[in-house]
Amino acid sequence: MLFKIFFSFLKIGAFTIGGAYAMIPLIKKEVCEKQAWITEEDFLDGLAAAQSCPGPIAVNISIYTGFHVKGYPGLLMAVLGTILPSTISILLIAMLFHRYADQVRCARLFSALRPAVVALIAVPLIDMARKSGLNQKNAWFPFTIALLVGALTVSPVYVILATIAFAVWEARR
Amino acid sequence: MIYLNMIFTFFKIGLFSFGGGYAILAMIQQEVVIKNAWLTEAEFVQIVAISQMTPGPIAINAATFIGYQKAGILGGLLCTLGVILPSLIIMLLITVSYLKLRKQRWFQMVFKRLRLLSVGLIAAALIMVLGHAVENAFAVIVFAACFIATWRFKLNPFTMLIISAVVGMIFGTA
Repeated sequence: MLFKIFFSFLKIGAFTIGGAYAMIPLIKKEVCEKQAWITEEDFLDGLAAAQSCPGPIAVNISIYTGFHVKGYPGLLMAVLGTILPSTISILLIAMLFHRYADQVRCARLFSALRPAVVALIAVPLIDMARKSGLNQKNAWFPFTIALLVGALTVSPVYVILATIAFAVWEARR
Repeated sequence: MIYLNMIFTFFKIGLFSFGGGYAILAMIQQEVVIKNAWLTEAEFVQIVAISQMTPGPIAINAATFIGYQKAGILGGLLCTLGVILPSLIIMLLITVSYLKLRKQRWFQMVFKRLRLLSVGLIAAALIMVLGHAVENAFAVIVFAACFIATWRFKLNPFTMLIISAVVGMIFGTA
């Protein structure tokens, strides 16, 4: 059973490229339908929690599912399965990168990849803005955050703590 | 000593990365590029590119890569552990108590505000990389093409980056 949990998450970890939002449908299919370890309702509750907790969403959801299925050992296996493919492949690339980083070909490669990454960040920004309930009345808030953190390099730590404190005060009022 | 500092830094990154993926970038930039100067802004953008072409969450990829660059394999593993440790602690607590917490008004309010905050944080990451990544006419063209391809034509990020890599090999500036 433990090995099966590990293997399921290893498979998901190894074949999803592009972050958590690509992973979620696969995890759901594997644990709700294929293995039937958890009901869909429980999974969706866990997903909501995973998205509101700090840390990578994929890791959070594997913690929830692993624990749900087989307690602490299950949790450990699920987390290991999720992060191993990522850690191993990055270590390999980092080793190679070190050796070839200064070469002309690599410089050319990244001269196109760098602007591509900027596009990669810009597109989800539009989607996120839609889904987060942004409107004319509250747009000043993310706008101010972007200026504080992006232009004045204020640490996100302070901004996050202030936001949490403000929200709690708002709810108590 | 560097190990301790790295674990602590990535623990902090893990602890303050709400919203997943791109919202984490601003936090990594602040800690790794601005505060500790472990990477330049250009190297940081390269790591984001590599992260999106390899499996797994960006935060973990970045932690492993930076840890390896600064302190070898052990460094890579320790940074990875550091970044998931807050998840392990908090998610476990929440797994046990989330169903009760979710009904609380303050809890709902906090996450409503944090969702809006993560939009601001992604925009901040964008502002920070823009000057270092789009610096000549070639880069502007690549950016515009990639933006339109992913936004309008829903090209997936992996394919988009592979095409960009090939374009860079052929037409890129060294």
